[in-house]
Amino acid sequence: MERYAFAPAYELPSWPFTPPPELAEGRSARHPVVIVGGGLAGLTLACDLAVRGIRAVLLDEDDTVGVRGASSRGICYAQKSLEIFERLGICERIAAKGITWSLGRTFSGEEEVYSFNLKADSVSAQPPFVNLQQFYVEWFLVDRIMALGLTELRWKSRVTRVQPGADAVRLDVETPAGAYTLEAEHLVDASGAHSPIRTQLALPAHASRSTDRWCISDVRFTKPLPTERWTWVDAPFNEGRGVWQHLMGDGVWRMDYQMPEDCDPEEISRPEVAGARLREQLGPDVEFEFVWIGPYGYRDHLLERFRHGRIFFIGDAAHVVSPFGARGGNTGIQDAANLAWKLALVLHGQAGEALLDSYDAERRPAAQKNLEVTSRSARFLAPRSPAEHVMRRAVLSLAVRHPFARALVNTGRMSVANDYPPAPLLPEGGRSVQNIAFADAQGRTTTLMALLREGTHALALWHAPTPAQLAAAQAAVAGLPVRIVTLNGDGGLQAGGAELAHLGLDAPGRLLLVRPDAYRAALLAAPDTLADAVRTTLALS
Amino acid sequence: MITEPHIPDPDAFYAAWLAAHEGLSEARSADLNARLVLLLANQCGDPQVLLDCLRAAAEAA
Repeated sequence: MERYAFAPAYELPSWPFTPPPELAEGRSARHPVVIVGGGLAGLTLACDLAVRGIRAVLLDEDDTVGVRGASSRGICYAQKSLEIFERLGICERIAAKGITWSLGRTFSGEEEVYSFNLKADSVSAQPPFVNLQQFYVEWFLVDRIMALGLTELRWKSRVTRVQPGADAVRLDVETPAGAYTLEAEHLVDASGAHSPIRTQLALPAHASRSTDRWCISDVRFTKPLPTERWTWVDAPFNEGRGVWQHLMGDGVWRMDYQMPEDCDPEEISRPEVAGARLREQLGPDVEFEFVWIGPYGYRDHLLERFRHGRIFFIGDAAHVVSPFGARGGNTGIQDAANLAWKLALVLHGQAGEALLDSYDAERRPAAQKNLEVTSRSARFLAPRSPAEHVMRRAVLSLAVRHPFARALVNTGRMSVANDYPPAPLLPEGGRSVQNIAFADAQGRTTTLMALLREGTHALALWHAPTPAQLAAAQAAVAGLPVRIVTLNGDGGLQAGGAELAHLGLDAPGRLLLVRPDAYRAALLAAPDTLADAVRTTLALS
Repeated sequence: MITEPHIPDPDAFYAAWLAAHEGLSEARSADLNARLVLLLANQCGDPQVLLDCLRAAAEAA
């Protein structure tokens, strides 16, 4: 029997536990923001708060990133997440370490039935996707947070109990040096799918578990394959079941195999069994070594509300969806970016409490949409009855010949920045504005994220105002957290045609109000409503 | 959804439908009908009409 080699384990950084002042001084302290959980969502929030000058305490059970001894979890970072990372200052590092891609292909049997190129309708400075092991992203976030120096990262700190109160939430924390209590004016639960806080508060999450089974093999090999997302609905080399093939950092390929529902997870993840599957796919002559093998099933849940008084739920603590389309980690990152600027404006005393309610009003519908989308993909990939198999077979056989049926082939709809429904603070609803590049008067390039990087303010992008209009508007918004930027006018930034179209600013005189999280808040035909629009959007007190 | 007669020569269509299924096993017939549904659905394209047709088909059983 062929023997299979394993690559040496990843060497992850670890950070020391330092006894916090509460333990040293033996008394509870009150903090404006406490974040529980140092995964993608919690770290993004801490970092986004820090760039806005907001201090926070982050409690994490572990003292490292990723899951010890495993490389599973997210690998695909979507454009909106990358734009957030660009604003936070870690996107270059992610792009340098990761694999940039935009093309996906889907196969049925031996034939390609569907492909997409996400680059086609993008005007962003960031690519549609970068693939990278999740722990690298978390690692880069920790480095950035430490460089910013405003967050207390408390490792080896496990929350054992929360007690919501009128002025603050009390948290009992267990550490290697003993237990202590601290208070949070705002508590953010980013502790993941198995959130002990959610469990302790007995909040209904409507969980369900799929019977579909998969097994990941992360492997290195020398066979040159395109850096595209390849999916098979029914691969001939996997007994007619699904297969995913995708490259991430360090030349590691993620090969994900759909398994029979009644499989034995231990058996299918034995190196000999996983190796035989790879051999079947790669052919007899390709040498490979395993990085990691991991069987999994997936589940979903969705909290009814993402805000409970002073407690906010972000990332997997609030919602879990099946992995198809990379809508888990990306949604957590975007939850964090949605909440960060709101907390910052409230803590700066500029905005009212209503702004914090809009976190739930915007991110819960986003999570609900992601649940619907991913559930449909999961259902396509794992038909539940003979009739569903008949329907899928019909789609696949027509898709080979006819373009219309390709739209029905569903191997995951890739994560997008969700639109937000109309709401009191967002009368027109909101949708993401991509990270557009502009040229300044000296011909240098700047971007929307660069304009949003310093402080917490909205942007008013204004297509060619007259000097008199500009002066009047500047006076009207004086003292409000908004920055007016002239496009394609005197002394302003220059934007291309596609960029202006994306902004809805084709016509001179128009003005677009963009929120600190790069969501469009309002398209204004006349500047005299700008100050009111800013007050509404940012819930200014 | 159109429920009044709209097929010009109903008997000819029915005969053609039968002919397409002639000699097929039950499973292959089911496959053919499923492909047919998709092709016809794409001719229609109207989401409300498609949902009305789905409901009418379920109710007629």
